[in-house]
Amino acid sequence: MSEFHNLQELRRSASLANKVFIQRDYSEGTACRFQTKFPSELESRIERTLFEDTVKTLNTFYAEAEKIGGQSYLEGCLACATAYLIFLCMETRYEKVLKKIAKYIQEQNEKIYAPRGLLITDPIERGMRVIEVSIYEDRGSSGSSSGSSSVSVSTAR
Amino acid sequence: MAGSSSKSGGRGPSSSPLPHAVAPPSRPLRPSRYVPVSAATFFLVGSTTLFFCFTCPWLSERFSVAVPIYNGVIFLFVLANFCMATFMDPGIFPRAEEDEDKEDDFRAPLYKTVEIRGIQVRMKWCSTCRFYRPPRCSHCSVCDNCVEEFDHHCPWVNNCIGRRNYRYFFLFLLSLTAHIMAVFGFGLLFILYHRQSIDRLHAIVTLAVMCVAGLFFIPVAGLTGFHVVLVARGRTTNEQVTGKFRGGVNPFTNGCWKNVSHVLCSSQAPRYLGRKRCVQSVSVQPPFLRPQLTEAQLAAKILDNGIQGDLHRSKSSLEMMESQSCDAEAPPPPKPELRYPGITRENTEECSLLNKAPPTPTMYKYRPSYSPGKNHTALTHAYANQLSRGESTGSARDSSSSTSSLLQASQQPGFRSQPSLDRREAPADRAGGGPGADRREGGRESGGMPGYSLGGRSYPSFSDASVLSGGASRSSSSTHTSAGAAHVSEATTASASFKSLANQTPPPHRNGSLSYDNLLAGGDGLKDTAAPELSSGKPCAVVGGGFNTPFLSQPREVDLQSPHHHHHRSSHHHHPFLHRSSSSTSSSPPPPPERERLLVDPHLPPGPQSSGPAPQPAPHHHHHHHHHHHHHSHHHHSTSRPPRFAAPHAPPHHAYPYRTRSTDTPLGSASNTCQSSHSPHPPPLGKSLSYSSAAAAEMQYRLVRKASASAGANAAGAGGGGGMGGGAVQAPKDELIHMKRTNGDQPFSCSTPSSPSHPSPAHKPLGGSVKKVTGVGGTTYEISV
Repeated sequence: MSEFHNLQELRRSASLANKVFIQRDYSEGTACRFQTKFPSELESRIERTLFEDTVKTLNTFYAEAEKIGGQSYLEGCLACATAYLIFLCMETRYEKVLKKIAKYIQEQNEKIYAPRGLLITDPIERGMRVIEVSIYEDRGSSGSSSGSSSVSVSTAR
Repeated sequence: MAGSSSKSGGRGPSSSPLPHAVAPPSRPLRPSRYVPVSAATFFLVGSTTLFFCFTCPWLSERFSVAVPIYNGVIFLFVLANFCMATFMDPGIFPRAEEDEDKEDDFRAPLYKTVEIRGIQVRMKWCSTCRFYRPPRCSHCSVCDNCVEEFDHHCPWVNNCIGRRNYRYFFLFLLSLTAHIMAVFGFGLLFILYHRQSIDRLHAIVTLAVMCVAGLFFIPVAGLTGFHVVLVARGRTTNEQVTGKFRGGVNPFTNGCWKNVSHVLCSSQAPRYLGRKRCVQSVSVQPPFLRPQLTEAQLAAKILDNGIQGDLHRSKSSLEMMESQSCDAEAPPPPKPELRYPGITRENTEECSLLNKAPPTPTMYKYRPSYSPGKNHTALTHAYANQLSRGESTGSARDSSSSTSSLLQASQQPGFRSQPSLDRREAPADRAGGGPGADRREGGRESGGMPGYSLGGRSYPSFSDASVLSGGASRSSSSTHTSAGAAHVSEATTASASFKSLANQTPPPHRNGSLSYDNLLAGGDGLKDTAAPELSSGKPCAVVGGGFNTPFLSQPREVDLQSPHHHHHRSSHHHHPFLHRSSSSTSSSPPPPPERERLLVDPHLPPGPQSSGPAPQPAPHHHHHHHHHHHHHSHHHHSTSRPPRFAAPHAPPHHAYPYRTRSTDTPLGSASNTCQSSHSPHPPPLGKSLSYSSAAAAEMQYRLVRKASASAGANAAGAGGGGGMGGGAVQAPKDELIHMKRTNGDQPFSCSTPSSPSHPSPAHKPLGGSVKKVTGVGGTTYEISV
């Protein structure tokens, strides 16, 4: 019913209602990993599997960035040899992966999260301490909580 | 180097031009910081230049051209690493934004425990940066930043050494050692061949260069060897020096080979500051997709009338359980509209992790949340809960800016007109309080480590929040119109409604400003929060612990300002506990001092003080603010515990709004000591104790005892600052203990302490009515007796 009420508005907008912060998972050391635990605030907003997939993919990205292998070793040697001037021209491995991550998050936002009224913020903006998930509410509905619950009830029908 | 000075000064906003990354505020230029780095640069470049000019030509002729080339390459390497170590961002964390710790307010614990490979590691709340420090992160007081994998602050490069630039620092040490050895060796060769013409200029210069090289070789080589060992063991200097893993297991080590390869071969870690912000181009437009609800969920939703949504909104579920689990005391029964059987409460990972750690009451520390300006009253309001639910609700309605979902939820269950994230109001300048304390602490620590400034804060600082909460509680019962009051009232309402939910949903607004606001505004700020409470109308005098003794009198306000100076001085006279605590994050040292400080406060106001200890917290914040450098400000993480234990008498819980409790305090031992000895020093009661439950009273009593036991050390160290004589100290302690005992049984009857031999401390403006006790972190509490 609140939905019909909202249809009267020509343009519906969303307003930020809440933010959920996915904390880091330090169980395996200081390597960058985020908890895949599904926060309860998102229970009514997104499917659990979708969310966990996102976080798991991010975790694999970060693991790839921090991997110590041939490429990183060569990068270090090259940097030493050029007195670190190479950093002016070249992008480090980590930065490359960070760009990949940014693209991935953007794509996830477009495809999955924005349609559900959520937005994921790149953790690098928070110092890689948390993944910030912004929850938006439909401002057009009368009473966000009742609106959302009524919407959920109606969809559940 | 000019560059180094620019870098050091520019750690602030200039280094992060884009606003999105909350950069640490710029600090005033301090020329003395550049002396070591300038000297290092001078000696390095000067000596090497002389070597190349006077010694190398002959060497290249006599032996081979490879000599200067080799030296040149090594010197280039030294310079490159030196520059990288000096100018590279060590891994500074940007300040957390306001909305990130909405649930981490004064009722949130000071420490969060996390398990790393089976080992419990504590993450401490950084009051400056507003987040729980990740493992191995530490806050550098010199740079006033939290640095990832903080090693140390190196004065020779005038920069912190952290995750990003440790490799360069290590290589700098290695190459410098090689360079010094090469210069010394070739210089010696030159001299040996020129023994006959030793009085020539070339020989003299070479001798001088050799002297410099020889002089620097010993410390540099020693440091290099030290770091080689550290790298092999996978430790940071900070961890080594503070003895974190002494005799224990280091959860961060992967074996010698992997440790070395991690330092040398890992990819360059990204910087967090000054990043190009990617503009969020995705637009969020309703209608929103919703997941299909299961039957159970649907039933729950119908049952709860929308409360569940409110609850979700009120506090992050992930964080909520943590605080709850840290609350060792059983919370009072929750308010009916907030507790619904249909609501599922998940036990979060963190909650389970925390549960593994013994959640003793002493573990529970309240983080300081001070935000100068707006929300200073919010904190205190949270604690005003027991007093005046109705009043706070009323005042909450009066607040102009009440947009808190909590507030609305509490007032009209199930209905929310306009949900909005009302966390912006928390002033960001809360961080202002931190730097001073950090810096001061760093300064103290560096004394012990020449060449190293650990700069880390290892002990929590008492939050002004506790003071705030005390003050706010007062103000809650009165109507405010200030924004701060609004916040406070909202918080109060929220807290009042939710206070039964122990440690849940701290007021959605930042409650930290009270201290700074009070300090800044002096009486004005205090009046805002606490004045209404006081019938006398005097601004809340910041009493060291939020005391609200019956003896509270006008002088307290006067004392507000004067103790600050003492705090400054006294901060350096901390009893050994503090020093230890500051240098190590290991459990025992920090807790006792904190607790002592905590215990200073809780002179619960007996009858005379109607409104309770509200004024006390404000003054306390007051001089927190004055002394940024007081690390005690960090100690005041605690928010008043009172809310959890619905104190029967209003005053008590106001008295101890901001007690921070050390995580693992040997309460038992402390109390035993206290019990046995009537130490002549007043226990700096840091805990706000308004427990109505017997358990609370018992704990409080133990804390008091413990405080009095350690009060001896406190008083000794704080003698200069506190100005309290032994006799004078005795009295408050007795009084305190007396009061403690009666806590929970009857309204506090503040017995007049036995006449102190010392009539009055230095600051007592009025005749012998105010005692000053210096607590942890240099906080001076004034006890009116």
